[in-house]
Amino acid sequence: MEKIALTIDGLNIVADKGMTVLETALRNGIYIPHLCYHPDLKPSGVCRLCLVEVGDEQLVTSCRMKVEQGMVIKTKSPEVDKVRRAIVELLIADHHTDCRNCPSSGQCELQRIMASLHISVKRMRPLKWAREELPRDTSNPFFDYDPNKCVLCGICVQTCEVVQGTSSLYFVGRGYGTKVAFFANKSRCESCRQCVARCPVGALIPKTVR
Amino acid sequence: MEKREERLLREILSFYKGQQGELIPILLQVQANFGYLSEKARKLIARFLSITEGQVYSIASFYSQFRLVPLGKKRVTICRGTACHIRGAPRILEATEKVLGLKEGETSSDLEYTLETVACFGCCALAPCIRINKNVHGEMTPEKVKELFPHLK
Repeated sequence: MEKIALTIDGLNIVADKGMTVLETALRNGIYIPHLCYHPDLKPSGVCRLCLVEVGDEQLVTSCRMKVEQGMVIKTKSPEVDKVRRAIVELLIADHHTDCRNCPSSGQCELQRIMASLHISVKRMRPLKWAREELPRDTSNPFFDYDPNKCVLCGICVQTCEVVQGTSSLYFVGRGYGTKVAFFANKSRCESCRQCVARCPVGALIPKTVR
Repeated sequence: MEKREERLLREILSFYKGQQGELIPILLQVQANFGYLSEKARKLIARFLSITEGQVYSIASFYSQFRLVPLGKKRVTICRGTACHIRGAPRILEATEKVLGLKEGETSSDLEYTLETVACFGCCALAPCIRINKNVHGEMTPEKVKELFPHLK
């Protein structure tokens, strides 16, 4: 395998050809916030959180950027922080932040990102908009979907389509009203729960045993 | 779906090859012929393109141009452009909702009326205006709205 030398945050790192910047950084213990990236799936680059600075202050999504010889990457810089913080704040402003009662608390990717950027839920409260809580979708016999917690990363949709080949999860609607839905094709769901296992937040939760 | 409608739908589909990229052109053409995308039409389209019904629904629900419910015989459109808004479009909408007993975007159960709003239809000089099918009524007031629907009282 051809090796490629690059610099991330001032560290000299050797990566395999064809790897992405995000993979290289994670493998070398450098954390870059990310929501829509999953090692099994094709990077979609929709969450925009893995933005890094390449060379002369150009921002690129590191999950889709392949490593190149002599690259100089900065995962933290005033510019990156500014952009990333805005994205996270927008996500949280539209997120159900009752972390204490959320079964995903502790394994939540959003919590991890907030911690890494030193954003506290308390300080975010004035930014939240008054919106009625959306009802949970409990139509699937194996898991529940909570649209108030969903970050619309698309991992579950892509998992169902690519990994399981069932395509029974879809995005419905657009903008703030977008939801993930399973209707009309419930019969195709094989209850593999791959989507549940991969949900970075607490939007897909297995039904608890009664 | 009636036989005749199904035949028309199959005729529309016969012009396409069955590639996934044809979904939006098909949806547009089906809507142009039927006025909306019925569940059965979506099912047939999904089968034709070898995708799931949900994927068709996902695309159809993303674009506001696609309708998933039939259109009423009288399509009432209220302009909420800047000019109309300043001259009282919200009150016109409120009055119309009251008269028709419909909320914005709804169609009455007897398929008589559909109430919708639009960003501007270019009659700013007549603001605030309302359109019923192709007829534009300008300089509306909540009282005049009632007169537009004399049989609904």
